[in-house]
Amino acid sequence: MNALKIAATGMDAQQMRVEVIANNLANMNTTGYNARRAEFADLHYQTLQQAGTISASDGTVLPTGVQLGLGVRPAAVTMDVSQGSLKQTGGDLDLAIEGRGYIEVSLPSGASGYTRDGGLKLNGDGQVVTKDGYPLVPDITIPEGASRVAVNADGELYAYFSDQVEAQFLGQITLANFTNEKGLEAIGGNMFIETAASGQALVGAAGTEGRGHLRQGYLEASSVDAVREITELIEAQRGYELNAKVITAADQMLGATTQVR
Amino acid sequence: MDTTSYVAITRQSGLLNEMQTIANNIANAATTGYRSEGLVFSEYVQQGGEGSSSVSMATARAHITSDVQGGLSKTGGDFDLAIEGDGFFMVETPNGPRLTRAGGFAPDAFGELVTALGNRVLDAGGTPIFVPPDAANVTIARDGTISSDTRLIGQVGVFTVVDPNLLAREDGVLFRFDEEPLPADSPTVLQGFLEQANVNPVFEIARMIEVQRSYEAGQKLLDREDERIRNVVRTLGQLL
Repeated sequence: MNALKIAATGMDAQQMRVEVIANNLANMNTTGYNARRAEFADLHYQTLQQAGTISASDGTVLPTGVQLGLGVRPAAVTMDVSQGSLKQTGGDLDLAIEGRGYIEVSLPSGASGYTRDGGLKLNGDGQVVTKDGYPLVPDITIPEGASRVAVNADGELYAYFSDQVEAQFLGQITLANFTNEKGLEAIGGNMFIETAASGQALVGAAGTEGRGHLRQGYLEASSVDAVREITELIEAQRGYELNAKVITAADQMLGATTQVR
Repeated sequence: MDTTSYVAITRQSGLLNEMQTIANNIANAATTGYRSEGLVFSEYVQQGGEGSSSVSMATARAHITSDVQGGLSKTGGDFDLAIEGDGFFMVETPNGPRLTRAGGFAPDAFGELVTALGNRVLDAGGTPIFVPPDAANVTIARDGTISSDTRLIGQVGVFTVVDPNLLAREDGVLFRFDEEPLPADSPTVLQGFLEQANVNPVFEIARMIEVQRSYEAGQKLLDREDERIRNVVRTLGQLL
């Protein structure tokens, strides 16, 4: 009996939806986190009667035929790439990206990672690194004795020294843009890597060719909208129950069948 | 065995099919752009000889696709599109062009606008839409025109068909057409929204209960028919 299996695919789908929502809610306060959304598509259709066949009884042509669906499957979990709100921190190396783009860092494997989490730090050598200690690409080192650093909207990083009037230019923070941001692969730690689906990183100065601007002293908050997640959660839970009801009904119909001698 | 059981069996198998349709509608209640389906039963009449009554059997002869507007859920995505009112987006699949109401699009690695399953979205002229990688602040107007802050990018095609019931369903929330669809006169495309499935849970559950009870009634009929035949056999056996 197909109704049982179809309802099972439906329960699976709702379960997956709840998992995605749980992850979004868990990351409500993760800097630079983009909410994810599960997308579903229907499965194959069983064609019982082809449209256009000639009805044997009266010779008319059937205009629509009969097709029976076989359930649902997950199609994708897409990333919502909308801008999260900016929250002021006042930190010199807290950079929020306003608009599109990712900060490129060098992963321990040598590959490039991309992140929107601009909560940067200094390591023991004065290198500008992410929370996990990955250096920026291109690498920027802040010399000892710098009293303050300034980053302008285009990503140029300057250091001020107490004994100099002029600020010293230290380097340019570049942003990487992707043709298909949703195709990036998340590897955890707010980090993404390039895939065949995302296309090559298009690296350049902030504020050029569609890349966003940098804003010093701010961090980008998670783009998770709690109200939306909760309403989705309610929907998913009720959807799960509806599918369970179908299983009960289908089971009772099967039960009725077996009772016939 | 005479026709009573056969008539009941056609009804039972029809009800099983209908149950499958309901299960599919409920399973797809969270599928973007899904349109709920229903079955239409018709009689299959066998004319009896002169003086005898005719026998009619029920069979599923057609399915209908509900074209009620599904709810719109706000996502805020630049390329999340919903059609308000009639119309479909046209996408290119390996098996040819197909129609869909699921408007969760995104540019792929080559900059072409594709669906979640990787099918390319076509414009009104039937060509794929290229979104330049440096396009920022993308806005999509109600007629489907896509522009970024610097330039015009293209227009998402919206098509209408004469009778949506003539469309055949395919997996991936797609519809296959025989008759070439026409560009819609004045489509309403909403950016940042997705159309939810137009499945009505109350209606589906009510129909499910109805189907289940009818099925049980059918089984009862088969039961009684079985009993009747036994009685006949027993009674006739006693006469011998």
